[in-house]
Formats: sequence, C-alpha cells, structure tokens
Amino acid sequence: MRQIAIYGKGGIGKSTISANLAAGFAERGLNTWYVGCDPKADGSMTLLGGRKIPTFLEQKKEGGKDEDYSVADGFKGVKCVEIGGPLAGVGCAGRGIIVAVHALYKEFFDDRIDIIIYDVPGDVVCGGFAAPLREGFANEVFIVTSGEYLSLYAANNICRGLNNLGVDLGGMVCNSREVDDEESSVSEFAERIGSKLVGFVPRDRVVRDCENLGRTVIEGAPDSEQAKRFRRLGERILENKKKNIPSPMAPEDIRELLRKRTGST
Amino acid sequence: MNRVLHPRPNPIIAAMYTLRDLDVDLIILHGPAGCGFMASRRLEEAGVKVMTTGMQENDLIFGAEENLIDVLRTVDRDFTPKTIGIIGTCASMIIGENLDSAVRKAGIRAMVLPVDVHGCSGANTNGAIRVLEVAASKGLIPVHECERQKAMLTKATAIEKDRGITSRTYLEPSNGATKLAVALKITKALREGQTIAVTLNAKKETAYGFADIFRAVEMAKRKLGGRTVCIANLDRTVGLPRIRRYSEDILRDLGGSGITDIQITGGLDEYPIAGEKAADMLDAVDAEVRIIAGLPHSLPRLRRDDVLVTDQPRELRNYLDKGFQNSVGEISTHADVMSTHSIIDSELGNTIREVVEKDYR
Ligand code: SF4
Repeated sequence: MRQIAIYGKGGIGKSTISANLAAGFAERGLNTWYVGCDPKADGSMTLLGGRKIPTFLEQKKEGGKDEDYSVADGFKGVKCVEIGGPLAGVGCAGRGIIVAVHALYKEFFDDRIDIIIYDVPGDVVCGGFAAPLREGFANEVFIVTSGEYLSLYAANNICRGLNNLGVDLGGMVCNSREVDDEESSVSEFAERIGSKLVGFVPRDRVVRDCENLGRTVIEGAPDSEQAKRFRRLGERILENKKKNIPSPMAPEDIRELLRKRTGST
Repeated sequence: MNRVLHPRPNPIIAAMYTLRDLDVDLIILHGPAGCGFMASRRLEEAGVKVMTTGMQENDLIFGAEENLIDVLRTVDRDFTPKTIGIIGTCASMIIGENLDSAVRKAGIRAMVLPVDVHGCSGANTNGAIRVLEVAASKGLIPVHECERQKAMLTKATAIEKDRGITSRTYLEPSNGATKLAVALKITKALREGQTIAVTLNAKKETAYGFADIFRAVEMAKRKLGGRTVCIANLDRTVGLPRIRRYSEDILRDLGGSGITDIQITGGLDEYPIAGEKAADMLDAVDAEVRIIAGLPHSLPRLRRDDVLVTDQPRELRNYLDKGFQNSVGEISTHADVMSTHSIIDSELGNTIREVVEKDYR
C-alpha cells in the first residue's frame, strides 16, 4: 500500500493535482483513496461530480461514531474522505487531523488498498498538520510548488519539517505559474535540497473549465493534453523508487538561486 | 537552568488560590474535568465553589466557547455569585480559547475575572500574578496593592529557586526527624533557664497550624521556667481582607493563651521579605534554641542546630540534606487549615505538651 502526502504552499493547486492523480490511478484500476485535509473540504468535489460531502469532523461533532462514518464513492470508485475542521479562529485544526487520521487508520484502511493520497493543508505548521506523516501513516511526500519565491520558500519550510520528522521526500511537482525559467529553477531547487523534479504541469484553462463542471480533467477532458500530463505524472510517481530525507536550504540561498536563474538584478 | 524533576504546583493552582484570597464566590476551570482536581477539593473546603467546563476531545478541535457560556449562565442562575473567576487551562489556552469573548456573550450579572493562564506558563507564582493583574484592571483591588503583591511573589520565586524546592533537581519526600527529640531539646533548655525564640514565617492559611507552637512553648515555659521570645509575620494591616482576617484570628487566639508580646515582621503574604526581618530580630535576641516554623528557608543566616518546622515533605528533605538535623514535619497542616477560623493543634505542639505533662526528660 502506497501512502503519499501532497504538501505545498496554500493556493498552489495541491487539490487539483491530488484529485487528478487519484482519478488517474483509479482509471488504471488501482484501489485508490483520496483524503482531503483542508478545513474547507472541497478537494474531493471534482472527484464527486461537484458534490460536497459531509466531513469526518462534522459527523464526529454531531456525535457520530468513527466506524459509522460514511465514505463517498467518486470517479471510477475512488474512495473520498474529507477531514474538515473548526470554524476559522476557533479550536485546533491540527488536533482534528490527528484524531481523524487515527480513526481512518483504525476503521477504514486495510491491505486491499493500493494507494492513499493525503491532500494536506498548506504547510507543516505544527504537530497536528504533520499527523499524516507520523507513525508511518504516509511514508512519502511530494511537494507542489511553482517557480515563485514564496512558493519555493514554503516548499523549503516543508523540507525542514520532513527533515525534523525523518520522512522521505519523493520529489517535487511544478505547477506552473508561467514565470521565467520556471522548470529549471524548480529543478535546481530540487537538486539543491537533495531531491528531483518529478513532473511539470503547465497552466491550461481546461483545468478551470472542468473544475467548474465539478470534474477532474481526467474525467472531463480525458483526451486533452493536460489529462495526458496528469496521467504521466501519476506514472512517474508510481514508478518513483528514489526517495530520501531532504536537507533544506537557507532562505537567502533560494533568493540567490532565483536571481541567478532569472537574471534579476 | 536547573532542571527540576519532582512535581510542583503549577500556575493554574496558584491562580485558583489567589482567586480565593480575593474572596471570589466561584471559580470555573475551563478545561478537562480532572484539571486541578485535588486543589479544587481543598478550595471547596475553604468555601469557594469550583466548577469545570469538562472539555472533551471535540472541544479541543472545535473550540468550547459555547460550553463556557453555558456554564457561566448556569452558575449565575443557580448560585447568584457576586464574583466569578475563570481559569484557562493548558487545554483551552493551547487551542486559543477567547475567555473575554465568552464572558461578553454570556452577559451575566456577576463580575467575572477571566484569567488566561495554563500549566506551562512558568513558575506557579505567575498564575497568582495574572489573577492580581486582572483584579486590578477590574478595580477589585488597588493598583498599588497589585504591585506590592507582585513584588512579593517575584521574591518568593527567587527564594524557591535559590534555597527552596526548585533549587535541586530532585528531592525525595521526607517526614523529617521525630518530634520527641526536638520537644526534649526545648523543655531541657527551658528547665535550664535558657531563652527560646519562636519564629513564625508562614504563608497565608498555613499559619493557623504553625501558630500552635507558640501556645505549646508558652505553656512549657510557665511550667518549667526559662524565657521565650515570639516573632511572627502576623501584621493585621497588610494584604487582602481575607488574609488580614487570618492574622486577626490567630492574634486573638494567641492573646487568649496569654501571648501578647509578639514582634511583628510583616503580613501573611509577605514571608519572602518578612524572613529577612525575622532573621535580624533573631540576631538581636541571641537565643539558645531557635524554632522557625512555616517556610524556614526564607530566613537568611539559619544555624545548623535551629529547629525548622514545615509542612512540605520535599522542603524537609531539602533541610535535612543541608544538615539541619532538627527539621520536623507538620505534614497534614495544609489539609487541616483550609476551613478553619482558629489555630489548630500541631504535632510538635502536642508532643511538647505531652513531654511537659508526663515529665519526660
Ligand atoms: S495538562 Fe494542563 S489542562 Fe491538562 S490536567 Fe494537567 S494542568 Fe490541567
């Protein structure tokens, strides 16, 4: 059973990539789970035809038992779960993730599953957000980034977390923002932290179009160039053998790398 | 920094005691049901109602403001308290509960003192300081009183670190020397016409227990001869009303036993500075036997043959390890004094009485 966690700066497109990866795996006949960890709980929508499912924590709050929690069947049988979380400014989302991940593990996950994708909120900001990585729940991480400084800065911070936790990084995924020299910047960054770029996802409006219809690209535009790219990214992740604990850079060095690459003075 | 391994009271508990000193009618612990359980029992014996919001796992995740509002309204309706203290705990403070907002939304009649404090916020005295600051901001105590007490608490923390229970990595609790040896030493000195100085330097309510030694030694002197000197931090004009009441009660009882000539070193919340004054007075007396009860380590220039009386088993170990062989324990004092309004018998006092009555030598 592969268990991968997708981390990256907020708003970078983790949910799009996670959902398309899940759809791609399911299409190949793999028994796939998608676990959304964002409190806003809309990561699974494109796998469920635009439907928003009740979150694990909502049901728990209303007194539901862990084992009674209902799991939604999405595109090609992807099992979808949303963890959810408190209202903004209230309680502790991190604790929610810890509780939910433990319950999922105890009540739902078994050997028949081929792959679980954890779509994790923005950053490893505290022990709670690191929960999918603890105790070997997810044992491999992919970081989504663009070639922009802030997004690489966040990626570097996540590497700091992985380094602290002793968790392996499988590689980086570049979700293009169409900035100069983007692919090579991310690729160099990946090398510098002791990893590699496993895929480059160009910007394409078909993603938005499909999302507006509540579909992944794999489902909504299966023959598009973008769908092929997501499938290829999925293959490279499945085939990926090399993974190791990353060694983060000093933040000044990231700026330096970008200055050199893009020729900004 | 010195790592301390033995358990110590935390700021949550100190905050609860300080709310009691302010005579609040009711304390709500916003946290798990078991938090502060033992201390709560004691405080209930002292007449303060202690409630808990009983937080559960879901409350950690989703916040427990609703619970707190509900408990505030319930206790306001059912017990009509004039003042309520709310104490944050580790659980509620880590998840960032907003106590002020809950108080505002609850809209109740009682005056509420919300105290943002948790078990990990440093020395226990920090909890007391937080309460005093909130009380001052609400006009419940004058600002200068708040500042005076803060200075005292900071001093107390420094003494504990320097000479007390937090000066050592680990202290194994001890019950101290037997009281008989010490009682024999005292009666022998009196018989030989020597001077015994009895010093009380105690913290708040524990004085009700330690003050009994004055009575026992006084009785022994009348039977056996010798001379006694009494020194005590029983200034009835210092501190919060509740604490002054303690001094008042004790001085009244001592007067009833014929003890009126007492050198006063300060109030019952002033043991950190009163200890220094007491040491000066002891130097001036130059007694053959010196008894120091309460928190003896807050006195400088102790002598190895001093009789040290305290109620904390670890403090006793601390004294014994430092070579004070006449250290004796009044271990049950704290439990006994919580609900009293008059001096209670001490074990050392009773042993002295027995030695005198049965004429042990
Ligand atoms: S950990 Fe903190 S909140 Fe929990 S019981 Fe202990 S003192 Fe109370």
